[in-house]
Amino acid sequence: MKTVMRQLTPWLGRLSVVTLTVLLASACSASGPTAVAGGTLVHVSERDFHIAVTPNHVPAGDVLVVMRNHGPDTHELIMVRSRSRLPLRRDGLTVDEDVLSAVGLVEGAGPGHVGQARLHLAPGRYELFCNMAGHFMAGMHAELVVG
Amino acid sequence: MLRRLEFRPLAARGRRTIAAILVTFAFFSALTLTLSIWTTKGSQHRATVVEVAARQRTLAERYVSEVLLARRGARVDPGNTAAILARSGDALLNGGTAPSVWGDDDETKLTAATGGNVRGQLKQERRLVADLTATGSAFLANRSVTDVPLTAHEHLSMTNPVGRLRVARGVDLDVSLNAARTIAIADDHAVNHLIVVQAVLGALGLFVSLLLGWALIAATRRQTAHFRSLVTSSTDLVLVLGADGCRYVSESVTAMAGRTEAEMLGHGFEAFVHSNDGAAVREASARGRPREIVFRLRNQSGEWRHLEAHVTDLRQDKSVRGVVLNARDVTERIELEEQLTHQAFHDNLTGLPNRALFRDRLDQALARAERSDRLLAVLLVDLDGFKQVNDSLGHDAGDQLLQEIGRRFRSVVRASDTVARFGGDEFALLLEEVTEHEAVTLTQRLLDRLAAPVTIAGRPVALGASVGVVLHSGSGQSEELVRDADVAMYAAKDAGRGRYEIFCPEMAKDVGELLGIEHELRLGLQRGEFSLDYQPEIELETATIVGAEALLRWHSPTRGLVPPGRFIPIAETTGLIVPLGEFVVRQACAQAAEWRGAGLVPESFVTWVNVSAKQLGGNGLDKVIQRAFEETGLPPGALGLEVTETAVVEQGVAGDRARAELKLLHEQGVRIAIDDFGTGFSSLGQLRHFPIDMIKVDYSFVQGAMHDAKDAAITANLINLAHALGLVAVAEGIESAGQLTSMQSFGCDLGQGYLFARPMPAEKLNNLLAHGAPEFAPDEAVA
Repeated sequence: MKTVMRQLTPWLGRLSVVTLTVLLASACSASGPTAVAGGTLVHVSERDFHIAVTPNHVPAGDVLVVMRNHGPDTHELIMVRSRSRLPLRRDGLTVDEDVLSAVGLVEGAGPGHVGQARLHLAPGRYELFCNMAGHFMAGMHAELVVG
Repeated sequence: MLRRLEFRPLAARGRRTIAAILVTFAFFSALTLTLSIWTTKGSQHRATVVEVAARQRTLAERYVSEVLLARRGARVDPGNTAAILARSGDALLNGGTAPSVWGDDDETKLTAATGGNVRGQLKQERRLVADLTATGSAFLANRSVTDVPLTAHEHLSMTNPVGRLRVARGVDLDVSLNAARTIAIADDHAVNHLIVVQAVLGALGLFVSLLLGWALIAATRRQTAHFRSLVTSSTDLVLVLGADGCRYVSESVTAMAGRTEAEMLGHGFEAFVHSNDGAAVREASARGRPREIVFRLRNQSGEWRHLEAHVTDLRQDKSVRGVVLNARDVTERIELEEQLTHQAFHDNLTGLPNRALFRDRLDQALARAERSDRLLAVLLVDLDGFKQVNDSLGHDAGDQLLQEIGRRFRSVVRASDTVARFGGDEFALLLEEVTEHEAVTLTQRLLDRLAAPVTIAGRPVALGASVGVVLHSGSGQSEELVRDADVAMYAAKDAGRGRYEIFCPEMAKDVGELLGIEHELRLGLQRGEFSLDYQPEIELETATIVGAEALLRWHSPTRGLVPPGRFIPIAETTGLIVPLGEFVVRQACAQAAEWRGAGLVPESFVTWVNVSAKQLGGNGLDKVIQRAFEETGLPPGALGLEVTETAVVEQGVAGDRARAELKLLHEQGVRIAIDDFGTGFSSLGQLRHFPIDMIKVDYSFVQGAMHDAKDAAITANLINLAHALGLVAVAEGIESAGQLTSMQSFGCDLGQGYLFARPMPAEKLNNLLAHGAPEFAPDEAVA
C-alpha cells in the first residue's frame, strides 16, 4: 500500500499543480490581491537563489500561500515575523529556526513541486526564506506586508 | 465460419499445453530477469553516481580548506582539487571518467545523467563549483572576490572572501546532496517500479499458466471421460488379467454376460470360463499369447457365450501391468457356422446325413473295418413309385413321405449305423460290424417297415423300394462301394422292384454299360457330338415339302452313331434330356431361321422337334424356346413341338403342368402335334381339351393299313376324327406307293417316310428345298 501511494504521489502532485495553475491564472487576471475560498492568495516563486512574492502586500486575515519551486535545487519556505536581523546558526549558513517562531511552513521539495500553507496573518511584516544550507545567505529571502 | 471440431488425441493436446505453460514461464522469467538485471545495473550506476556526487561535497570542503591553508602558506594544491571538482562535475553531467582522488579511489566511469531534475541540479552544482573555485582563485590571487561573476545566480551580500567561500561551499554541498538524493529517489522509484512490474509480470505469468493448466486439466478430463465412455459404452468386453486374476472388467460385462464387476474381478472370472477353454485363457493371461483366442463364458442364465478375444500383452506398461483381452460376443456367428456346417453335411428335409457326410463316415468305417475282421454293409435304397406320389399328391406330400421314411429307417437300424439321404428318393445306409445274415435281415426289415402304409394328405400311401446291398471287409474305396451298391440297386430294380439284391461282380457289367452311356452322354454334350437330321413332311395333295421333323443324332467317338432309342431313355432317366432338348430347340430354330432367311421355305413351313414328357412341366422349355425365338428371329408359328400322348394325358400335377406349358406355348403361336398317335391309351375325346394342331398317326397303323383291315379302319377313323376336331393328320412311316395311295384315299393331309425322304443333314435338305420334292419313287422305299 505504501508502494502504491508512493507511485500515486507524483500524479497527485501533478494534479494539484494543474489545479493551482488554474487558480493562479485566474488570480493573475485581476489587479491587486485575489481572494479565493481559502483566503487571500499569495504566490511564492522560488528558484536558485531567489524568492518572488506576488503580491507582496495583502490584507490581514486568511492567506493561502502557494509556493512553487522552479529549481533546480530543492527548496522550502519558512515564514516568520520580520525582525531587523535573523539569527544564524553557528555554521553561518542557516537561520536559527529554534529561536524564531515560524508562522508558516512549506516543506522542502524538489523542482516542480508546488506546496501551500493556509495562514491567518495579523497585520505586520513577514520574512519568507528558504533555509536549506546556504540558500538564505545566497539570497533566498523576501518580505510580505500584511495589513 | 464454423470451425470443424476435430478429435485430437490427449498426448498431442497435452504436450502443446505443457509446452505453452513452460514457454509462458520462460518468457515471464526472462522478462523479469532482464528487468532485474537492467534495474540492478541502473542501481549500480546510480550508486556510483551518488558516490561521485557525495565525493563532490568532500572535495568542495577540501578545496575550501586547501584555499585557507594555502593562504597561510601551507603546501597544498587547491587548483588540483578544483580541477577534480570540475572534471567530476562534467563527468556526472555529461558522462565520462571521474578522476581519482589521491589515496582515495580509482577513476570512475560514468554515463551521462538522465532526468530533467538531476541534470538541472548537476548543472547547478557545476556552476556552483565554478563560482566556488573562481572565488577561491580570486582569494588566493588577492583579487577582489566581489568582482568574481557568480554564474549560479546566488546573491552573496558579504564581502568577506572567507564568508563568500563558506556560503558558496555550503550551497554547493547542499546542491550536491540534493542531486544525490534525487538520484537515490530515482533509484528508489526504479526499484519500486521493478517490484511493481515484476509483481505484475509474475501475476500475469501465473494467471496465464493457471489458465493453461486449467485448460490442460479440462482437456485431460474430457479426454479421460471420452476414453472412459468409449470403453464403457463399447459392446466389447475389456478385461485386464494379471497374476492375481482379473484386475479390470468393463461395464459391458453386465450387458454381455449378465455378470457384475464384483463377480468377475479376481479369480471370479476364471470360474465362469468353460473348463475346456480355461487352459487357453490361462496361457493368454500368463504369456500374452496367442493374439486371438475364443473361449466360452457362462452367463447369468447359465448359457455359454462364445467370446472372441484379441490378446494384448501390456504387462510392461506401467499404467496397465496386465494382459488385456478385448472380447466380443461371437456366439451367433459360431452357432451360424455350426448350423452351416450341419447343413453342409446334412439333408435339410429329413435332417439325415447327406452324401458328403455319408462318404466321410464310410471312409472312417472302412479304415476301422480294415483293422478288424468284421464286415460292413452299404445299402442303397431307391423308392419305387415315389415319383407318382410326388406328381399326384404334390411336392409337400412327397416331402412328408420322405421325412417319414427317414424316421422309419432310423427306427430300424442301430444307433451306431448311419442313415443318409443322397437326394430325391435315394437313401443310403451304413451298417458297421455286421454279418451278411444281419445285413440281409435288416434289409428285409427295412422293406417290411416301408411297406406299412403312411397317411399322407389324407390318403394311405404304401411304397416299395429297390435296395442294393454291398458287403465289404475293408481295404476298399468308399466310391467303389457306393457304386457297387448302386449296381446292386439297379439289379434289384431290373429284377422287379420291391426287393433287394446283394452285389456280385457280374452285375457290374450290365449296369456299368448304362452308367458308361450316361457318362459319355454328358461328355458328348460338352464336346458337341450331337447334331440334327431333318426328315421332310410332304403335303400329299400337292407333293410339296411343308415341314420337316428334326431328329437328334449322336456321333459317339467310341460307339459310332448311337440310335436314339439307345440313349434317349437314358437321357430321360438321368435328366440329361433337358440340356439335350435345349440343344435340339436352339439348333432347329437356327436352321429354320436360316431356311427362311434364304427363301428356301414358305412362310407356312414348320420345323418340328420332339419333346419328351421329362422336358415339360417346369424344366424351363418355354424359356428356352423364347430365347431361341429372340436369338434367331423365328416367328413362333414356324416351330412345332411333337409330344407323345402320354405326356399330355398324364394325370396329376406333372400332367397339369405339362398341359399348362403347352397351352401357353400354343397361345404364343407354337404348333403342337401328338406324336405316335394311336399307341397310347387316350381317347380322341380327350384331345378336344388339348392345345394341339396336328396328330401324327403311328407308322404301325400306316404300314398295316394295306394288309390289315382293322389297321386300315383305325387309320381311316383316326384321320377322320382329326379332321372332325379341326386337326391336321400326318401319316408316319410311308415307305411304299401303296401306303401312300391308302393314305391319300383316307384323306390324310401330310405324309412322312422313306418313300419321300430319309432323315438327312440340313445341307442335303437345302438342295431338296431348292429344287423341289423328288418324284415319289417306290423303288426308294427300302426298309
